[in-house]
Amino acid sequence: MIRVLIVCSWGMSTSLLVDSMQEAAAERNCELSVEALSAGEYVARVDECDVVLIAPQIRHLRKSIEKLAAAAGKPVALIEPFYYATMNGRAVLEQVLRLLPGAQEGKPAI
Amino acid sequence: MSVMIERSSAWFERYLVPPLGALASSVYLQAVRDAFIIFTLPLILAGSVFLVVANPPPIPGLQALIAPYQSAILVPFQLSFGIMALFLSFGVAYSLAQYRRTEPVQPGILAMVLFLVATMPVRDITTLTLGEILPFLGGQVLLVAIVIGILTTEVMRWFRGSRFTIRLPKNVPPNVTRAFEALVPTLFLLTLVWALEWFVSSYTYLGMDHQVHQLTLPILLTRAIQPLVVLQNSYPAALLEIILMMLLWSVGIHGMNVVTAIALPFWVSTLAGNAPGGSGHGIVTEPFFHIFAHLGGSGATWPLVIYMLRSRSAQLRTVGKVALGPAIFNINEPVTFGVPMALNPLMMIPFVLVPVTIVTINYSVFALGLVHVPVIMQPFTVPLGISGFFATGGDFRGSLLQFFDLAVSAVLYYPFFKAWERVLVAREEAAAQPEESQVQVRVQAR
Repeated sequence: MIRVLIVCSWGMSTSLLVDSMQEAAAERNCELSVEALSAGEYVARVDECDVVLIAPQIRHLRKSIEKLAAAAGKPVALIEPFYYATMNGRAVLEQVLRLLPGAQEGKPAI
Repeated sequence: MSVMIERSSAWFERYLVPPLGALASSVYLQAVRDAFIIFTLPLILAGSVFLVVANPPPIPGLQALIAPYQSAILVPFQLSFGIMALFLSFGVAYSLAQYRRTEPVQPGILAMVLFLVATMPVRDITTLTLGEILPFLGGQVLLVAIVIGILTTEVMRWFRGSRFTIRLPKNVPPNVTRAFEALVPTLFLLTLVWALEWFVSSYTYLGMDHQVHQLTLPILLTRAIQPLVVLQNSYPAALLEIILMMLLWSVGIHGMNVVTAIALPFWVSTLAGNAPGGSGHGIVTEPFFHIFAHLGGSGATWPLVIYMLRSRSAQLRTVGKVALGPAIFNINEPVTFGVPMALNPLMMIPFVLVPVTIVTINYSVFALGLVHVPVIMQPFTVPLGISGFFATGGDFRGSLLQFFDLAVSAVLYYPFFKAWERVLVAREEAAAQPEESQVQVRVQAR
């Protein structure tokens, strides 16, 4: 099970991406849970995830999010804006898997 | 052209993103915005439903039917939307505590208590009627709620780290420790706000009903910021707000969120004055932007989606397909990051210019009284056409205005869209080129 935390703004558009990522994960037989939280809410939940992703519209918070994720020992990345725009769950899932060197299809993360 | 675009894009990234990013990263602005969205928006939206039912559109018979029950129908509105400032004070203290990584519920509750203390005149409050204080618990005093919310969390945080905190032995359960830790700051804040309120309410003022009333902190502050509320409800202010929103979006930051956090107290104050039965004629309100300017999402990008569906560029066609569904509900992140509009020097021009033009048209239309001013707030996801009708309290000309603005947007975006499409098509052809020449080379080698 890979637990992804997406830090975003309102969660309105991100929810579309979350659906697409779930579909992509199902295709690859990979267990995935994705949670989209605002920049205020995610702080308390960092410990309960494996990967932190940043939605492009809050790019300006990147440094503070990276710092917090690093302190919790979690890999973090900015979602490629074009993948976000086209709600390309498959590509974003690839991004997640690249961040987790130990994670392969079907195998548990880390 | 492509090189020029990349160069100026790098320039924007370097000089425009940092200051705008800093504004958007302000912890206070973020906390206020979160509080609005999570704690008060549901109350505003649900409360509005009752407000609309109690004040139906001018259809003969319908109004006469509702009239006898109007006060009864208004009760859920009055106790939700009507006292939203109380809950906002909780929300601001709670959200700020989350950003500050401290326990959020205690400051939240304390902020509500402090807000109530600030609202009531210091006297025998058992003889106070609800009607006397109800107007000072809602949209008019959001700034008071925000100030109290921020103050509460910051003071509690300061005390927690200071030597004034009561410390208990380590083996005491954490819940007990927390209660005692909160005791000193709670007493301090309660005394502070109450003393201030007592001082203020030792003065009186002559009300609109020509009776002498006790002054309270919210009344004092409402009067103090009244000039600002008036100032905000003007064309220059509307222009400033829309430009800031679109500049933020132009560098890929959620502009509506940032500007909302600053302007919503003023928007709601102005909108409250427009409420059915009131005499207000305020124009620059939340629906003025969300419903009448951001058609299909911030930047009025609806027409772009249609253009993209039939574009010669594969990238734009892909984005158009994804963007169509969300656009119906005024969500346009696919457009903003897919075209892209953000950090794209060419598309940034209409991205700012189109909403500015629409705001100018709409301001004139509302000022001339051609369409009824906005009276209620709706979720920004209500589709175009329907939202204009409801926002104006049932004026069909509200929908017509939206369609007119849509046409303006379609015309203004077109030349920029075509220019950008040419850039992308050239890029796509260039990307396809090397493969073809390689094939040719191989054929020749044979």
